[in-house]
Amino acid sequence: MKKLLIVDDAAFMRVSIRNMLQNQDIEIVGEAANGLIAVSMYKELRPDVVTMDITMPEMSGIEALKLIKAFDPQAKVIMVSSMGQEGMVKQAIISGAKTFIVKPFKEELLHKTISKVLGV
Amino acid sequence: MTDQYHNEPMLELFIFESMQLIEQMEQLIIANEKFESYDSDAINEIFRIMHTIKGSSAMMLFNNVSTLAHSMEDVFFVLREDKPQNIDSSQLSDLVLEGIDFIKVEIAKIRNGDEAEGDAAALIESLRVFHATIKAQNYTVRDQEMKDTATSQGYSAPKKQQYYISKVRTEPQSYSSSFQATLYFEEDCGMENLRAFGVVNDLGDLVKEYYHIPADLDHEDSAVVIQEQGFTLFLKTDRSLEEIHRTLSQTIYLKDLQLTQVKNCEPFEDLHEERKILLNDSAKIFASSSGERITIDQKESYSSASQQSIISVSVAKLDQLMDLVGEMVIAEAMVTQNPDLKGLELNNFEKAARQLRKITSELQDTVMSVRMVPLTGTFQKMNRTVRDMCKKLNKDVRLELIGQETEVDKNIIEHISDPLMHLIRNSIDHGIEMPSDREMKGKPRWGTITLEAKNAGGDVLIIIRDDGGGFNKAKIMSKAREKGLLQVPEDEITDKEIYNLVFLPGFSTNETVTEFSGRGVGMDVVVKNIEAVGGAITADSVPGKGTTLSLKIPLTLAIIDGMNIKVGDSRYTIPTTAIKESFRPKTTDIIVDPDDNEMIMVRGQCFPILRLHERYHVNTLVNNFADGIIIMVEQDDQTLCIFADELIGQQQVVVKSLPAYIKHTKKVTGLAGCTLLGDGSISLILDIAGLFTVKKTG
Repeated sequence: MKKLLIVDDAAFMRVSIRNMLQNQDIEIVGEAANGLIAVSMYKELRPDVVTMDITMPEMSGIEALKLIKAFDPQAKVIMVSSMGQEGMVKQAIISGAKTFIVKPFKEELLHKTISKVLGV
Repeated sequence: MTDQYHNEPMLELFIFESMQLIEQMEQLIIANEKFESYDSDAINEIFRIMHTIKGSSAMMLFNNVSTLAHSMEDVFFVLREDKPQNIDSSQLSDLVLEGIDFIKVEIAKIRNGDEAEGDAAALIESLRVFHATIKAQNYTVRDQEMKDTATSQGYSAPKKQQYYISKVRTEPQSYSSSFQATLYFEEDCGMENLRAFGVVNDLGDLVKEYYHIPADLDHEDSAVVIQEQGFTLFLKTDRSLEEIHRTLSQTIYLKDLQLTQVKNCEPFEDLHEERKILLNDSAKIFASSSGERITIDQKESYSSASQQSIISVSVAKLDQLMDLVGEMVIAEAMVTQNPDLKGLELNNFEKAARQLRKITSELQDTVMSVRMVPLTGTFQKMNRTVRDMCKKLNKDVRLELIGQETEVDKNIIEHISDPLMHLIRNSIDHGIEMPSDREMKGKPRWGTITLEAKNAGGDVLIIIRDDGGGFNKAKIMSKAREKGLLQVPEDEITDKEIYNLVFLPGFSTNETVTEFSGRGVGMDVVVKNIEAVGGAITADSVPGKGTTLSLKIPLTLAIIDGMNIKVGDSRYTIPTTAIKESFRPKTTDIIVDPDDNEMIMVRGQCFPILRLHERYHVNTLVNNFADGIIIMVEQDDQTLCIFADELIGQQQVVVKSLPAYIKHTKKVTGLAGCTLLGDGSISLILDIAGLFTVKKTG
């Protein structure tokens, strides 16, 4: 089973994503509440895919993405963004984010995004 | 709401998290307002909070909340990025606090299962205007700066990432082929312009020269164009069509891809005016990341350790757990004190029972401690009350908080928040004088209100102290006379008794009803709320110096330490905190006054006696004082001697409220509730404060 790491400072979003993936063939190996934790969890857990919030305390999603990509150039990171963050999404793409998903999103879109990123 | 969010836990989590964030933000704003400017940490934090709320509420489809949060986020975005000077921080605080209030109301509606249909259009408009003002102000500043740097250093302002440069005529090179690709993205994928940007980025080194329609991917409008007409890309490359096709078809959200080979240069010639993209930022960003690693690695060690140490649990579940533990305490007593065991020698059973009792009591303590929450949140909320009041009344008041970490049962905290707010409003409205008056009296211009909490045995004391004008004794007395509230002869009344008259129903000293403290409901409502949780309130005041209000609140309501007593066939429980002593009376100590009131002399002092069997009409064989027992109880400096048949024993009991049908059909006074005893019989818990009023009127 493929492994997923959820990164978001809002517990609500983490649980939302977890719920949406309940009946999917994917294992959520961890949840991180900021970029710093995300990077160390990535190194430890080596997930196949990461959903990464952008605006977070301690370390933003962009910074975390850069560090994860520096550690593992093959890392598959999906940015979780929302309207008004175009500039940051662009930075994320340049820094190697696989793709991004725009809040609010529906269950189906998340499934599709993850399976495409995983190349299933 | 879509179906997927219909489930309750998500909604609860949304409410819980949003409220927490909102309150955190409120504190930030109030703390920063004092300095009349916002520091960058606060701006960052508020920006992030609004961003989170925008996202979560959009997911839950609470669009009004989301839109409002978005416009607040926009304002703080400008504050964060452009750092404008000379912002009207007081206006900003007002706007943001108004926004917080709106969101609070909406969340309250959501919590009550109502439709969150509030309209924040006016507020959003004000925020928009504010946003435009700070933005405009900043542009003029930045323009100036740009000119300065341009002239002095010879290059344009940094920060503006230039992805597009004018098309440069490169050396005519013969690439093997040129392609035209048109990509269509799936609907609802959002930000199509950036998806297109991603496509170009992915191509990277594969292509030598390219341009695309629409050319400007930074503009939001381009998203719509791409959505409708697709994204068209012309590229020159030495790679094969298959290779390009493979790369492009890996694009996520790709719905349709048309890739055709075109004649060399043809489209490029046609579109000379178009611009070319040069991408070289990625390398730069990667290079910078290695430097940051070092500091980050250091931080990792502690932050990864702190994860997952706290979970949130709904109060309803805790209540249920508490109830179950209560039942278990009773069940444990029912087993270990079972009448069937009487007279039996059961050594092993005794040992096991002792063990069981120990664990049950530990379990009970633990569950109790889980329910305990610090008063911090409740106290912090008062900052806002003080701020709003000061602003409206033009007074200057500082709030000092002491002992916020004191813990109280969650249920009780919910009950004291409103009374506290009411009392503080009263203090500011009636107590603290106007700054000019204070100066004339030789006091500092600002008033001080101290809110202090501390433990006192089984109770928590909350003290509200102000350095205002104090109570006006004469005014209270005349008002009390006018309303007929005086029960004590006027020449015997003590100062303390006068001050405590203000808590009587229908009393309010200020004739003019102000917006805040006098809404027709007065202190008596506060008193009622506090008494509802078994608390008490007293007042003391020094004219010209200020007033002190003390609230005594029990730590918890669910379990009390009780002394069980027997009267006839009935059982009663007295909270042990109220018991001073119990003794077998001597007939010689009993005094009967001319009104047939019985009293007892203890160590030279006289105390009234209450015969429980008479009070509750219970048949008993014990009528002589010498055959029964006296329990001396004290509450609020009043002492009473209760006469009962015998003491059964001390036990922790779980308080259950009296069944509704008993409460409604018979107005029984002096009873706080009931409980189950170990032998399965029911015991009535006496409300000592209630017994005093019974004694007085009866």
